[in-house]
Amino acid sequence: MTDTPIFELNNVSKQFGNTAALQGVSLRVMPGERVALVGPSGAGKSTLINLLNGSLLPDQGEVRVMGQDLARLGTRKLRAIQRRVGTVHQQFDLVGNLRVIHNVNAGRLGDWPLWKAVASLIYPLNTQAAFDALTQVGIPEKLYERTDQLSGGQQQRVALARVLIQNPAAILADEPISSLDPGRSREIMDLFGALSQQTGKTLVVSLHAFEYALSHTDRLIGLRRGRVVFDAPAAEVTPAMAQSLYRIEV
Amino acid sequence: MARGLLTPAAATATVPARPRQLNSRTAWTTALLLLLIWSLAQLGIGDRRLVNPGGITQVTQFVAAAFQPDLSAQFLRLTFEATLVTVGYAVLGTFLSLILGFAGSLLVSETMWKAWMPTRRRPTLYRAPWAVSRGLLAIPRGIHEVIWGLFFVIILGLDPLAAILAIAIPFGAIVAKVFAEAIDDAPHEPFDALITSGASPFKALLYGLLPQALPDMISYAFYRLECSIRASVVLGMIGAGGLGYEILLSFQTLNYNEMWTLFYALFALCALTDLWSSVLRQRMGRMVTCTTSDATPIEGLAELPRRGQAGAPQGDRFISGSLIAAGALTVLSFWYIDPTISKLWAPKTLTLLAGLIDDVFPLSLTLPQLTVLLKLSGQTLAMSVLATGFAAVGGLFLAFPAARNFALPGKLMAAGSKGRARRWLGWIMLVFTRGLLLVQRAIPSPVWALMLLFVFFPGVLPGALALGIYNLGVLGRLMAESVENMDERPLRSLQALGTGRVRAFLYGVLPLTAPRFTAYTLYRWEIVIRETVVVGLVGAGGLGRLLAEQLSSFDYSGVAVTLLFYIALTFMVDLASASIRKAYR
Repeated sequence: MTDTPIFELNNVSKQFGNTAALQGVSLRVMPGERVALVGPSGAGKSTLINLLNGSLLPDQGEVRVMGQDLARLGTRKLRAIQRRVGTVHQQFDLVGNLRVIHNVNAGRLGDWPLWKAVASLIYPLNTQAAFDALTQVGIPEKLYERTDQLSGGQQQRVALARVLIQNPAAILADEPISSLDPGRSREIMDLFGALSQQTGKTLVVSLHAFEYALSHTDRLIGLRRGRVVFDAPAAEVTPAMAQSLYRIEV
Repeated sequence: MARGLLTPAAATATVPARPRQLNSRTAWTTALLLLLIWSLAQLGIGDRRLVNPGGITQVTQFVAAAFQPDLSAQFLRLTFEATLVTVGYAVLGTFLSLILGFAGSLLVSETMWKAWMPTRRRPTLYRAPWAVSRGLLAIPRGIHEVIWGLFFVIILGLDPLAAILAIAIPFGAIVAKVFAEAIDDAPHEPFDALITSGASPFKALLYGLLPQALPDMISYAFYRLECSIRASVVLGMIGAGGLGYEILLSFQTLNYNEMWTLFYALFALCALTDLWSSVLRQRMGRMVTCTTSDATPIEGLAELPRRGQAGAPQGDRFISGSLIAAGALTVLSFWYIDPTISKLWAPKTLTLLAGLIDDVFPLSLTLPQLTVLLKLSGQTLAMSVLATGFAAVGGLFLAFPAARNFALPGKLMAAGSKGRARRWLGWIMLVFTRGLLLVQRAIPSPVWALMLLFVFFPGVLPGALALGIYNLGVLGRLMAESVENMDERPLRSLQALGTGRVRAFLYGVLPLTAPRFTAYTLYRWEIVIRETVVVGLVGAGGLGRLLAEQLSSFDYSGVAVTLLFYIALTFMVDLASASIRKAYR
């Protein structure tokens, strides 16, 4: 393993209108780390994830992914970096009326030539790899089902399979379990943990549920009002630190 | 009156001032009324004779011929072949318009521009090129297909290709606009997710947006076919061949029996296409009603089951069968019509095009010409206003009896009505009004104009009536559908209070339907002003008539000037219609 951090933020600030989403955030994530971003709604967790995958640019400071300053990259180079970072969202972001295999294959679009992308929509290609990815997330039998016929937990698995087939160096997950019931939540978090452990991929996951952050990741970054309140290994996080995030100011 | 806790405060408070009567709404209403009065004055009632008494005998002959269509084997064969030609043009025109429209939709879609431009750094950067591309697309869309047809006939000759292109280009521009809206309206999260994972915008579109927009697109493509059939008939009348051409020929030789055979074929064709298209679109859960929008899709008016229930019901045999049939129809049409595509780049075409440009320029406009053009523009405007007014008033009367939820036994306005006679009356009115509207819109406006020219002297009146009758058929159907989709609860509660029929109608029905009625009417006005050229070409009056004269004398410079006036007029009407719709919203 190299010493280059996979993600590096130096004094990053981001505004939306008059609201400061992030203020002076600096942090580094090393390859193979499993990091949870915790904090109340509006703390800046989603903004941080969107800065890490390059869909947002900071107003101040720099965001480096695998050593590259995202703001300085041209379209082509940015896309090349983005292919190395996979993102899973709260709402899964799948196309409901496509078969599962197409939603999974969509993870490979960056590498595929256009003719292949078109042809596969008519006659599904890459079936073995898609099947393998679905096997890893535990729903291989759903390969040819229509995606909107699947339950919420199964759809989140499809989204995860799409990221796996993209084969990124790091997986970002933005509230991946907040639209699932408790039972499904545990299954999905177990899956994230297991995959990251098996493949050695870096994992950055934003979570509302503090207990899953403690049980499924190695390091917690607490955010409140766009600032980092604490950044500590999971073992050293105390209930007081958790409370400091959610305390209500009068 | 119950006096309770609320009264003391109310007694001391002053009544709020009445809202001002003068606002943008009342101002526009007054302006529209004045415009209508001015248009009526343009008819010249009293100044000159309008009715041609000599035509009455011809009308009786014409009507009598309805019961004796020419059914000789030879003419039936001709009718059949003409129908195939009309269908062929329509199918190929639609096919090409869909290809052009899809390509064009990418260029006018907000989503695609956002993805192409470096919006990460400067979020508003995409707006200028997006606006420019949309503006450019408005030009082919703003010109009626018949004008395109005339242009292509000049440079390509009377070739099937001229008819196909005349449909494909303006319709392609409309399709581009509608497809772009379908793309922009689809949920964006999957698309954004793919962009974030490093996919190119086109591939992200392919996997993230198109699958969601496709049902809307297919549904719209079938609606476009309905419109193409009508356009194909009208293009036939300018010489492209098919039903329209044969109708004009039979008319010119005063062979009414032949005309009626062709009419019956036309009714059957229109009814079949409309039925196919509407069943398909209903099955797909997307009832964008036919002829809602020939040039202007209804913004925000369509209360359609759109997003959220993505996709057509799975495995519907009718839908997959229709798609296969449409594909087969395209191949067959291509084989039957056999357009010589190479003509497009043939040296002769280029020579003719160069010659045309040579003839057109330099444009010149003398003062007497200007006076004539302004006068004719005025007549054309008056024609469009009268036709739209006729269609709107007629629609108001026909829409309610034609609505399935209105006067039928036990429905809205007939609740509790007794007696067998009354029940039957509801049904009779429904069937009669629906049939009337169907016939009105099955016959294209230039054919109506031909018939009216039996009894009227050329001028504003026959043109306005022809357009009015055809558009009443369209508008009446739209209005009836909006009555059927009306929220019935306010009316039910008024009726529960024992409110009388007329009063319940005024307070519970009219306020709910009026906004849609006016919006539909104003959209129709935009379409009618474009269609005035068609009735003009067959001799009804206005700028279209001048255009026909200039074309027959090969005065292409004059044609170009007239067209410029025409286009200016249509853009003015579009602008007015948009402003009025905004004021009424």
